[in-house]
Amino acid sequence: MFSTIFFHELKYWFKKPAFYIYMAIFFMMALFFAATTAGIFDGLTASVGSSLIVNSPIGINNLINGLTILIFFLFPSIIGVSVYRDFKSEMHTILYSYPFTKANYLFAKFFSSILIVSLIVLTIAIGMFIGFRLPGTNGDVVGAFAFKSYFDAYWLFVLPNILLFGAIVFAVVTFTRNIAAGFITVILLLFVQGLTESLLSDPSQRYLAALLDPFGSAATAYDTRYWTVFEQNELHIPISDAILYNRLIWLGVASLVFGLVYRFFSFSQNAMTFSLFGSKKSERSTKRNFGGITRVNLPKVSFDHSFFQNLKTTWKISNFDFKFIVKSWPFICIVLVGLIVVLFGLSDLGNPFATPTYPKTWRMLQGGGLFVFAINICTFLYAGLLVNRSKIASMNGLEDVTAIPNWSLFLSKLIAIVKMQIVLLAVVLVAGVLFQTYKGYYDFELGLYIKELFGLKLINYVIWAFLSLAVQTLIRNPYLGLFVMIVLTIGIPLLTLAGIEQDIFKFNESPGFSYNDMNGYGDSLGRYLLYKGYWFIAGLLLLIITALFWVRGLPHGFKERLTIANSRFTTPVATTFVILLLSFFALGFTIFKQTNINNDRYTSKEREQLTVDWEKTYKKYEDYAQPRIVSVKTNLDIFPKKRDFEASGDYLMVNKSNVAIDSVFLNHNDYISTFEFNKPNTLVSEDTIYHFDIYQLKTPLQPGDSLNLHFEIRNKPNTLLVTNSPIVSNGTFVNNTQLFPRLGYSGGELTDDKTREKYGLPPNELKPEPTDSTALGNTYISKDSDWIDFEATVSTSEDQIAIAPGYLQKEWTKDGRRYFHYKMDSKMLNFYAFNSAEYLVKKDKWKDVNLEIYYHKGHAYNLERMMKGMKASLAYNSENFSPYQHKQLRIVEFPSGSFAQSFPNTIPFAGDAGFIADVDDSGDGGIDYTYAITVHEVAHQWWAHQVIGADVLGATMLSESLSEYVSLKVLEQEIGKTQMRKFLKKSLDDYLTQRTFERKRENALMYNDGQGYIHYQKGSLVFYAMSDYIGEKKLNNALQRYVEKVKFQEPPYTTSVDMVNYIREVTPDSLQYLIKDMFETITLYDNRVVKATSKALDNGKYQVDIEFEVSKYRNNEKGRRFYADEGRDSISYTPEGKTRPILSLPLQDYIDIGVFAETEVDGKQKEKELYLKKHKITDIHNKVSIIVDEKPSEVGVDPYNKLIDTRSGDNRERLQGE
Amino acid sequence: MKLVISNLTKTYKNGVKAIDDLNLEIGTGMFGLLGPNGAGKSSLMRTIATLQSPDSGSITFGDINVLEDKMALRKVLGYLPQSFGVYPKLSAEDLLDYFASLKGIGKKSDRQALVKEVLDITNLYEVRKKHVAGYSGGMKQRFGIAQLLLNSPKLIIVDEPTAGLDPAERHRFLNVLREVGTNCTVIFSTHIVEDVKELCNDMAILNGGRILKQATPSHARKELIGRIWTKLIDRDDLEANEAKYNLLSSNYNEDNTLNIRVFEDEMPGADFKAVEPQLDDVYFIALKQDEPVLS
Repeated sequence: MFSTIFFHELKYWFKKPAFYIYMAIFFMMALFFAATTAGIFDGLTASVGSSLIVNSPIGINNLINGLTILIFFLFPSIIGVSVYRDFKSEMHTILYSYPFTKANYLFAKFFSSILIVSLIVLTIAIGMFIGFRLPGTNGDVVGAFAFKSYFDAYWLFVLPNILLFGAIVFAVVTFTRNIAAGFITVILLLFVQGLTESLLSDPSQRYLAALLDPFGSAATAYDTRYWTVFEQNELHIPISDAILYNRLIWLGVASLVFGLVYRFFSFSQNAMTFSLFGSKKSERSTKRNFGGITRVNLPKVSFDHSFFQNLKTTWKISNFDFKFIVKSWPFICIVLVGLIVVLFGLSDLGNPFATPTYPKTWRMLQGGGLFVFAINICTFLYAGLLVNRSKIASMNGLEDVTAIPNWSLFLSKLIAIVKMQIVLLAVVLVAGVLFQTYKGYYDFELGLYIKELFGLKLINYVIWAFLSLAVQTLIRNPYLGLFVMIVLTIGIPLLTLAGIEQDIFKFNESPGFSYNDMNGYGDSLGRYLLYKGYWFIAGLLLLIITALFWVRGLPHGFKERLTIANSRFTTPVATTFVILLLSFFALGFTIFKQTNINNDRYTSKEREQLTVDWEKTYKKYEDYAQPRIVSVKTNLDIFPKKRDFEASGDYLMVNKSNVAIDSVFLNHNDYISTFEFNKPNTLVSEDTIYHFDIYQLKTPLQPGDSLNLHFEIRNKPNTLLVTNSPIVSNGTFVNNTQLFPRLGYSGGELTDDKTREKYGLPPNELKPEPTDSTALGNTYISKDSDWIDFEATVSTSEDQIAIAPGYLQKEWTKDGRRYFHYKMDSKMLNFYAFNSAEYLVKKDKWKDVNLEIYYHKGHAYNLERMMKGMKASLAYNSENFSPYQHKQLRIVEFPSGSFAQSFPNTIPFAGDAGFIADVDDSGDGGIDYTYAITVHEVAHQWWAHQVIGADVLGATMLSESLSEYVSLKVLEQEIGKTQMRKFLKKSLDDYLTQRTFERKRENALMYNDGQGYIHYQKGSLVFYAMSDYIGEKKLNNALQRYVEKVKFQEPPYTTSVDMVNYIREVTPDSLQYLIKDMFETITLYDNRVVKATSKALDNGKYQVDIEFEVSKYRNNEKGRRFYADEGRDSISYTPEGKTRPILSLPLQDYIDIGVFAETEVDGKQKEKELYLKKHKITDIHNKVSIIVDEKPSEVGVDPYNKLIDTRSGDNRERLQGE
Repeated sequence: MKLVISNLTKTYKNGVKAIDDLNLEIGTGMFGLLGPNGAGKSSLMRTIATLQSPDSGSITFGDINVLEDKMALRKVLGYLPQSFGVYPKLSAEDLLDYFASLKGIGKKSDRQALVKEVLDITNLYEVRKKHVAGYSGGMKQRFGIAQLLLNSPKLIIVDEPTAGLDPAERHRFLNVLREVGTNCTVIFSTHIVEDVKELCNDMAILNGGRILKQATPSHARKELIGRIWTKLIDRDDLEANEAKYNLLSSNYNEDNTLNIRVFEDEMPGADFKAVEPQLDDVYFIALKQDEPVLS
């Protein structure tokens, strides 16, 4: 009997067109993704990089699993429906009386539908296989075909997931007899995954997350998280404990679910129902069987078929449909779970360092992110359910013969959906307000909530509603329609990958909007609304399509529907359609004209070509001697309301070279500019694309001679769509390179060598080696100057304060504008910025240095913290390295961007990078990043503004790594050594994570190419470890000597080699290996505690026995492991019971061994260090015995994670008592 | 008002000609449309009720050209399809209010009054708060009548409404229908001859998409007086009689004998006796004449 039902089911599907449509959709999607990642559209859009093999095992696994998520949305209508179908067609009344067993029936139904979805997902692999190899793909990024990659993805992840989710959906639909419930289950499961992912994002909980993720992707991530590029390209996903246990757990859950279905399923007539109020008492019911004759005497009522009445009826029907939605269990579930998800999302929101920000309303509004998906799905689903509502309930026969016009029917569906969207958006509002209240934050800004949710966001959803209604009307199968809509929403934005980049060609795409406290929505709002208006017209056109194809009466064939549509396309309809179409095109063309014709717009392909041409045309001038800017005097007038600026300035330039200079290369921006030299010259080449102009001097500039350039610059007027100026209405932050001209070739070349090869460019070495003495003439900040004199007059509107580096000389008001004259009293780098906003100012003093913070009203939360950071950093740097060069230090808030940047005596600091941080000072909270960033940026006054590296490899180590080191050291003073682990672990995790995204190469710290993960994260770890190994004082003294030698130096500039030499000098012989491991190579440890025990001794002390392993290896620039240096041997150790030996570089290393106890401080468990000492390690496998005074609870090898180790979690172990 | 159907033809995609060049005139009162299952009754009724479009032909109701101006007909139309469902979890009162809105009754008080009245008429008032989805078959059919009355229809079309009803429900239903149909045109399709006999002042027999006969029930019967004969035979003699006479129907008696009815102008034999013609006879004769001739 099993096989009869099984094959009957298969036959049923094989005959259905939907089966082939689904297969085709998945095949096409896989083909598209595979071909796109393999660079098939390189001819249309920017080239894909060459470093990552797209069909590597992990690449294949990610793509297959990513696309498989979509098939879960088909489960309700394939797997779920398999039993339900028999109910719906009322076959069950006959079927269930047949002589087959429950097991036969259920298993046949379940496995036949599982087979069907498996067949559909199999097309993903086929599509990918073909897609990678389509003609036109880039062979460099496609590796050889490996069957194992595909096979592993299927049997490890896809098939178990199909079984698991299939069983759940099967259970839900079978018992509720409601396909929509199946859908919502899928959405809820996705929610749950998102939730566990964010709740268990802490590194220490990753193993738990790996086990609990029903999709298994967290388990894969657990093992592959830190894979380098080489490993990503080469390795197969290991079938590790985490993956295996995860799969077993969830297969167990699947079996359990199916077991429950089996247990509770019965061949009965009625669906399982759940009642909240218990079952009602049963009663015997009889009816009167004899009825008399009644007189029909209907009361006189008035019938009104006017347009106005129909409108009213439309509203009434929309309420009727709306009630249907909000009373349906699926919807209620979405709202409740959505509320919880949004609340969880908010609690974890925007805390880059696990410290939350104050719950500003705009932050709350960002928290609805996860919910977008739910609102879209509900829109698509309920559009389908409403369009087909009367058909599904077989009520169309009654409804369609009433004298209600068609438009009233479909318009009411649209209105009902919009009402539903409003309710769902209100969930975001409620969640936000609840969260704010919970946090004790009562500045709700309801106006902002309403404006953004029910204005800006709603219109986006309404436009989707138009499309859903049209699609669902055309398709007339709610679940197929839903699926098509999901594919469309995912697919439309991805058209960018195929070279369709402009929003006007992609349904409902538009520039985004963003809000911040200082500048509100800025200029983003008008642009957004214009595009949405454009798509709204498209929505109205779709509404007419809906009207034409709306089915009234019996099901029509497609041909008949076309005929009906044609007959409905009457003159008024056609006229409206044409008018809408014309306005759609007119608006589209207006946007196109504004953005493409009146303005230079380049596709990413064109931009790539421009970059190539730039290099080909102008790189040859790179080594031409140019005069150096020695003084800058500038006037900048900022017009915040109009977002315009006008600037003028004078560069005094000197020929510092020893050759005569005959031409000046002026490299400027795309503003309306005039340039005037004080020496006769001719403009021999003017470039209107790259703005690289060549002025030939009548008489060459002799060595030591000077030249003056006067320039005037203003922006082209801003339009609604195109912003031509960096000025914003409140919170301008603009630096010199954004505004003013530079001299000479400024770089900015393609870095991917394969792409360069395609364009006939030689491989790119990024920057010269530090040993290349000819390359030391420029700092990495500017190529046209060394140290300059600086003076600026900045004006702005009367209500704002304008700031530039230097000291305020004079402030005055003229013609309703405020003027500020700033002048720097000492030499500084040619690197400055201007700020203007309605500021409040907080002042303080450190020694004789004036401290000021310019902040936005209402952002006073952390001013004390910043002041403290400024003082601590000033103190640490001046005590340890050299005096502070200025008499003033200012922090200036700008709207957003999550960063701060240090200019001479001035530090622009983003509002969202610390001003609104809600820091928990108890020590258990997150990282006080406001304080850390402040210290870091102030340290740059030394490490960049005193010591600046030459523009060669490793230059940023001298500025960023050192500033970050100072930040850690100041924090250590503040909170104590033992609390540093969370900072170090965070840096370690960030370093290891971000290096996996490296697409070019990873160099050792002292040769780094400027990547953040190397100079911030790795740099801070390395310097912190060095100070730990050789002593803070010793290290700082070496640095002090170095600073003394190189600060404010003229070219040739210093390099990382110089600094490392100073450090090498003070490093004892036994620790010299650290210089090689930490600065010169990429060296990683794999340290772990194998076993640790303790026992109480008779003298009241405790003996701790620790068995641990230490090994280390080096990575090359692609991340390949090496266990020996060139020409040397490695050491190995094979643990008992294992066959594969552990390999390591030879060890002569000193590693921290620590023993810890738990003590109670103020009712809280705190860690106490009982023992911490560096042990010399020469073998991989080690045992030590340590006697401590108190009862120990935990031990560790490198317990503070000072060393780089991809598995930092196994460095510590809780003691097993004896 | 008169419903006039002329030259109506409808062929489905699968090739079935559901309505075949059909002409029919129906006046005020109860009109019974009699025909076996699959005769095209529902197709015809759906076409009149604007739910599907014919391939050719015309339908007018009074001044209304039904095919051109569907909305005009819908204003005066009450239609009860052969089978219909209702939205789950909604009471009769709510659903009727919804229908009243669809049918253009703008004022809330009007709707309330009307809904109450139709609930009374159909004897559903007591169960008005109950979910319609939970109604028994008869109650559901009465609900169908209730919704149909909401726009005071001039043309009422009911498609096999009595199928599956118990005798009491069937009576009650027919009584209500009769009552509401006094002043308007009611087209009533059925394959149960009894229904027509009890109610209709005009009728037509439909098969294969064509009208086989149109007459008033009494007139149709009168035509047959003296031409219907019956006799008692053994089961085994049935085939012989079938071959010999124009056999209309045969019914078992308790003792395994059969009563056969034949249609002959002259008395077929001495063992036959004349009987009063029934409407059934009219029906069977009409169908018989339309049967394909086997050659």
